[in-house]
Amino acid sequence: MPRTFPQPGEQALHDDNGEGPVEYDYDLFVIGAGSGGVRASRTAAGFGAKVAICELPYHPISSESAGGIGGTCVLRGCVPKKILVYGSAFGGEFQDAREFGWNINGDITFDWKRLIANKTKEIIRLNGVYKRLLAGSKVDMYEGGGKIVDPHTVDVEQTGGEVKRFTAKKILVATGGRAVPLNIPGKELAITSDEGLSLEEFPKRVVIAGGGYIAVEFAGIYSGMGAKVDLFYRKPLPLTGFDEEMREVVARNLENRGIKCHPETNLTKLEKVAGGIKVTVDNGEEHEVDAVMFATGRKPSTKNIGLEDVGVELDKTGAIKVNEYSQTNVPSIWAIGDVTNRINLTPVALMEGTCFAKTEFGGKPMKPDYENVASAVFCQPPLSVVGLTEDKAVKQAKNDILVFTSSFNPMKNTISGRVEKTFMKLIVDAVTDKVLGAGMVGPDAAEIMQGVAIALKCGATKAQFDATVGIHPTAAEELVTMRTATRRVTPKGEVLKV
Amino acid sequence: MAITAGMSKCVGAACVRGIVVKEVILGRHRYPHTPVCTNFYGVRLSVRPWNSRGVYMRQDLKVKAMSTNGENGYYKEYDYDLIAIGAGSGGVRAARFASQFGANVAVCEMPFAPISSDEAGGVGGTCVLRGCVPKKLLVYGANFPHDFESSRGFGWSFETEPKHDWKTLITNKNAELNRLTGVYKSLLQKSEVDLIEGRGKIVDAHTVEVKGKQYTTQHILVSVGGRATVPNIPGKENAITSDEALNLSERPNKICIVGGGYIALEFAGIFAGLGTEVHVFVRQPKVLRGFDEEIRDFIAAQLQAQGIVFHFGESPTAIEKRNDGTFCLVTDSGKEVSDLVMFATGRAPNTKNLGLEEVGVKLDKRGAIEVDSFSRTNVDSIWAIGDVTNRINLTPVALMEGMAMAKTAFGNEPTKPDYRFIASAVFTQPPIGTVGYTEEQAVEKFGDVDVYTSTFRPMKATLSGLPEKTFMKIIVDASSDKVVGIHMCGDETPEILQLKSSSP
Repeated sequence: MPRTFPQPGEQALHDDNGEGPVEYDYDLFVIGAGSGGVRASRTAAGFGAKVAICELPYHPISSESAGGIGGTCVLRGCVPKKILVYGSAFGGEFQDAREFGWNINGDITFDWKRLIANKTKEIIRLNGVYKRLLAGSKVDMYEGGGKIVDPHTVDVEQTGGEVKRFTAKKILVATGGRAVPLNIPGKELAITSDEGLSLEEFPKRVVIAGGGYIAVEFAGIYSGMGAKVDLFYRKPLPLTGFDEEMREVVARNLENRGIKCHPETNLTKLEKVAGGIKVTVDNGEEHEVDAVMFATGRKPSTKNIGLEDVGVELDKTGAIKVNEYSQTNVPSIWAIGDVTNRINLTPVALMEGTCFAKTEFGGKPMKPDYENVASAVFCQPPLSVVGLTEDKAVKQAKNDILVFTSSFNPMKNTISGRVEKTFMKLIVDAVTDKVLGAGMVGPDAAEIMQGVAIALKCGATKAQFDATVGIHPTAAEELVTMRTATRRVTPKGEVLKV
Repeated sequence: MAITAGMSKCVGAACVRGIVVKEVILGRHRYPHTPVCTNFYGVRLSVRPWNSRGVYMRQDLKVKAMSTNGENGYYKEYDYDLIAIGAGSGGVRAARFASQFGANVAVCEMPFAPISSDEAGGVGGTCVLRGCVPKKLLVYGANFPHDFESSRGFGWSFETEPKHDWKTLITNKNAELNRLTGVYKSLLQKSEVDLIEGRGKIVDAHTVEVKGKQYTTQHILVSVGGRATVPNIPGKENAITSDEALNLSERPNKICIVGGGYIALEFAGIFAGLGTEVHVFVRQPKVLRGFDEEIRDFIAAQLQAQGIVFHFGESPTAIEKRNDGTFCLVTDSGKEVSDLVMFATGRAPNTKNLGLEEVGVKLDKRGAIEVDSFSRTNVDSIWAIGDVTNRINLTPVALMEGMAMAKTAFGNEPTKPDYRFIASAVFTQPPIGTVGYTEEQAVEKFGDVDVYTSTFRPMKATLSGLPEKTFMKIIVDASSDKVVGIHMCGDETPEILQLKSSSP
């Protein structure tokens, strides 16, 4: 049951053992200062709680002893990734400029080192911003690895070896996750996304193993900067879990942009050779490349933080098990963000952190709402989706669904000559007319879909979409002018012609 | 009533009757005894007979329009159910949908020329040929230098500075417009709309004349759009408007743009982006009258940071052509010499020489055709939509008005266009996206409002080092918590805004 924070003058509530009031160093101790941890601690402090947070010292490459305030998103994920995506997109832009009348004579050069230096400058700036935000919210910061000793005690092992011990009424675990390397011979020669964002030299030939968004994004990044990229994934299409039709569009775009895709192919061995790294693949092929990146999955960071000792239950994937209020099986311990492996996105961690703080310290129980969470994959061009995929809609809907699709050449391409269609899709319940899902692959997809996410949250119907007057000329207006359904699908999966 | 073979269903969606009333001889159609419904507006629509299995069949039938003037069961024949004068956004939309609802439709449009005039226009209209489309293409072309500059902070460098060739841009732009006008023509063809080339003129309430030939029609739709107006000052013939600006043979080194609206600002951005020295003369103390005040200030600052020079509170009084080919723009405050002067001071409905006065169609003070909420003029058989009615002069609005007109007149579904929460954009750099009430309007309408604003450096600028900012504003009616206005200025804000206008 959610606990309320005692008002000044009130006595502290009884502790878990039902004994008399206990004095703790802190009302809340947060382990991990990433998106979720920082949000939870600042919000809780805003409600008057005495809060502390601990985080490993900063390093570009994460490990059991290194991290940094800001967490994965700011230091090793969303932010640096987007910066590199911007950097890599310019190559394509320069190509597009030609038919708009631009003559670029002479060489165009790309300096990887300068980009990485500027990227690092920016993430260090953001790291500082987060520290100031925490200080401004009067959250005490401790640098070092946090370890739970008992349901109300956390040890922080600082860099020098000194261990500081703190007691807290409530503990929040927000340690995030880390990349998992493939367990193949020579795996020590490979890098993960951490290193991928900080390489000393630009890798001219790259092999990426993985089919998820990280693999696809890095494929686009290196390729846009001029590298020769080979992408290997286990399934027939990349981006498992996304709408099937959109996965096909993404795969086609990857190839169009010069990335060689190897579906249903796995890496078996890596060896160091004079020219770089020799990659052996399960169909017998060999590739010699400058870098091999494993982007085959991430795992919650649950080791060495004392979870087993205090009895916090983990699930099969190694994530911390929590209820709808992010509470673990230990009443004084909560967990949010990637370490709980629910929806591993920064805005979701922010939502979980806010809900936890409001529930425990704001006197207002609040459950995170996981419906219609929009997301994006920053490949070239990007993909963004919200709501149900066609498959899920068919399985979950009681009624027939109508699928509206549109594939068109974006206006810029009519002049630039780039052959790359934008694809949009709406999934509608044929009886209630509610829009169940939407997706787009094309320039600015993520920016466009944010508004669609709002519409879905409002419970918009297709009629409301259609009644919305377009903004012209934009790509987004296509979403409000899809008049004819492409197909109708029954709950049994039968496709009917419309 | 049970449907049996030989009976017919009216095409009108809401119609539940539609049984044969009168058989009519149709001269030029294959099915002389096509049954006809008398339901709506006295327009006889083509019907789709049920076959013997009670399944209704699609037939490509066109029924000649009938009027209710006939006596004793004889009906006066018209050549068409609808003639639209003007094949722009509104006209084409109305024509195609009227035809899909079973009406017999023709559209007339003047032959294509890059510069619009009393004799020239083109299928596609202002939007496709002289407005939205070419403007956006030029905006894309002019924004590349911003990308070139931004790329430096991301590690890119050029051996030599990229150089722009204006002629290539215009040539490629025109090739695209040619393609689009062809697309519009084939859309009309596929919808079985007759395209008549020439300037249409209304002869009477049911007759339109094009190039000396007269066509009779049940309904007339006036969708002739508007044209740029120029201040009546000495030397006005020396200035250009947006039409010419989109087709210049070379880019001026320096230009004076008179105007403070979206057209003036968009062209200011286009020319400035490509390297022209731009001076903008605005009669008002600020640009973009009618927009949210904070947006007006924000965009002026962004444009000034790019080197565009604003002269506020100045009105043009004359343009003098100089011996060296340059022009001197004289205002009530001073003079400015440049290679070119462009007026972007407003557009007016194209209502001259259409026969409107003779047939008695009422115009308002600004020359726009007065219409009711169904787009009907004061003359029963004459409708008007789009810029010629000067309601909200945007293509998607003309499309909405065209669709509503077609549904009302031929789809048996009286439909009023809904003007609430129509979003729009200004394609400056950075662009503006806006929907709903401005802060000032919201306060007046709702009283207490909560205003949320955010000004931030977009992520791309943190590395590019360019001094650009993005501004976003949400206005909320405090008592209902409803979002009543959203205004943004920054990269991609028009794209971002589209679906936000679905949601309020």
